[in-house]
Amino acid sequence: MLHKPESALIIVGHGSTVNPDSSAPTFDHAEAILRQGSFGEVHCAFWKEEPSLRQVLHMVDREDVYIVPNFISEGYFTRTVIPRELELTGPLTHRDGRLLKYCEPVGNHERMCELLLKRAAEVAPGVPTKDCSLLIVGHGTNLNDNSAFAAKREVDRIRDTGLYGEVFNTYMEEAPLVNEWDSYTTCPNVVVVPFFIADGLHSYQDIPVLLGIEQDTGLAASQRDIFRQNPYHLRGRTLYYASAIGTEPLFGELILDQAALFDRQHSNATLSA
Amino acid sequence: MKRNLTQALESWIAAGFRSIGQITITPQSNGGYELRHAEDLGREDLHLHTSADDARGLSFFDDANVYRPLKTAPTLRHGWRLLAGTAGELRAALDHFYPSMTALWLSYLEGKLPPVPLRETLGRQTGMYAATKRLLDDEGQELVGKACAASACTKRMLWPFSENQPLTQLPAEDLSCEPRVMADGSHQIPLLCHEACNILVAACREVVKKRERAQSPQPSAASPASH
Repeated sequence: MLHKPESALIIVGHGSTVNPDSSAPTFDHAEAILRQGSFGEVHCAFWKEEPSLRQVLHMVDREDVYIVPNFISEGYFTRTVIPRELELTGPLTHRDGRLLKYCEPVGNHERMCELLLKRAAEVAPGVPTKDCSLLIVGHGTNLNDNSAFAAKREVDRIRDTGLYGEVFNTYMEEAPLVNEWDSYTTCPNVVVVPFFIADGLHSYQDIPVLLGIEQDTGLAASQRDIFRQNPYHLRGRTLYYASAIGTEPLFGELILDQAALFDRQHSNATLSA
Repeated sequence: MKRNLTQALESWIAAGFRSIGQITITPQSNGGYELRHAEDLGREDLHLHTSADDARGLSFFDDANVYRPLKTAPTLRHGWRLLAGTAGELRAALDHFYPSMTALWLSYLEGKLPPVPLRETLGRQTGMYAATKRLLDDEGQELVGKACAASACTKRMLWPFSENQPLTQLPAEDLSCEPRVMADGSHQIPLLCHEACNILVAACREVVKKRERAQSPQPSAASPASH
């Protein structure tokens, strides 16, 4: 297990000004990592919440600092916003007596496929996977840059396992569309896993409405009970809907792995370097 | 580890600091600390919390259960008290209630909190917030006067509008770093803002977009999709 009592970890999330669900998994993972003692300090920072990327370094006592973006893919935020706001000059930044180590985003982790399979199995216990269509839902516009690419990569990996009857990428805003799920799936059971970092508006509200399992009630996201009513029987199928993959507690391990990966890739990274 | 915010926090409490924002901090005989809403002093019916992690949930919603994206808004919920067993737990709880605020105060005391002019913050924005570079001085000052007023945010604004232009629409007490002396003689840790937050940057964008929509009857080109 990673043991870095002399180092600090900053987990960077997007956050939201309209609901608390966006940052919740990032805070949860941070609390879990702090409890297990892998790092001497663990902090969160957000683009749209506090502490902000401009504030968080003031919160850090230690001089050796790992920064892991809790993002589903590389893209605008991981390549432009986070480095700019933290004033990073590359993977390694020496500043004010500190060594800032910018790690790869969690979504890049090779175990993502394993987590998606775990979540799919948990949401549909006892359902034979060979009789199951598995849908991995992404956003599907250029809004999230490479998230569609990342989702496709994971679907290819899942397909290669041969575990599920069929596996599809599906998107909110481009084909194959979520709301047409019954037109391209053929199995009697359908498992849907949102490829998002948090249960924000998309996974609580937008996707359930598109799937047809929920009316747009206008209720606040946190007040809805979408994930506890499985399975749903509609359009002649049995549908199981999972919460966003980023809420999976094992995500914390992936965050730590990204820090460990940084060490392997930058073995000479020291404060005196 | 040269910096130690936990020790600094202990020293401030020992020196008579007893509040931050809307929270009163009361040292306990066992070495711990009790936190509660300053307006709940004397109440006996408060819900007791004993984990610093509980501060996250308490900080996220106001009395009407409305989400609080800005933790320094003067809308901290009432009805709770939280016991922090150690200074480390106190620090963790305050990091939820007022994220980074004790750290920024320490940085200020160490002379390591240079304010960033609003124009500089807006000037580095990209994607959908690049539009904020077109903010006019007058509309920007007026916006700051409303969005950063004590009725909306209890931080003290350390940053000027630009290198040559101070903030003109906020009262002097909202721009001061001095700790407030409370009625009982104790001191309050000030909430400092050394750089405009994303909420203000987003509001600047709205002001620019609204003006440009009003000025141009033609549908404007779609903004870049990045947010």
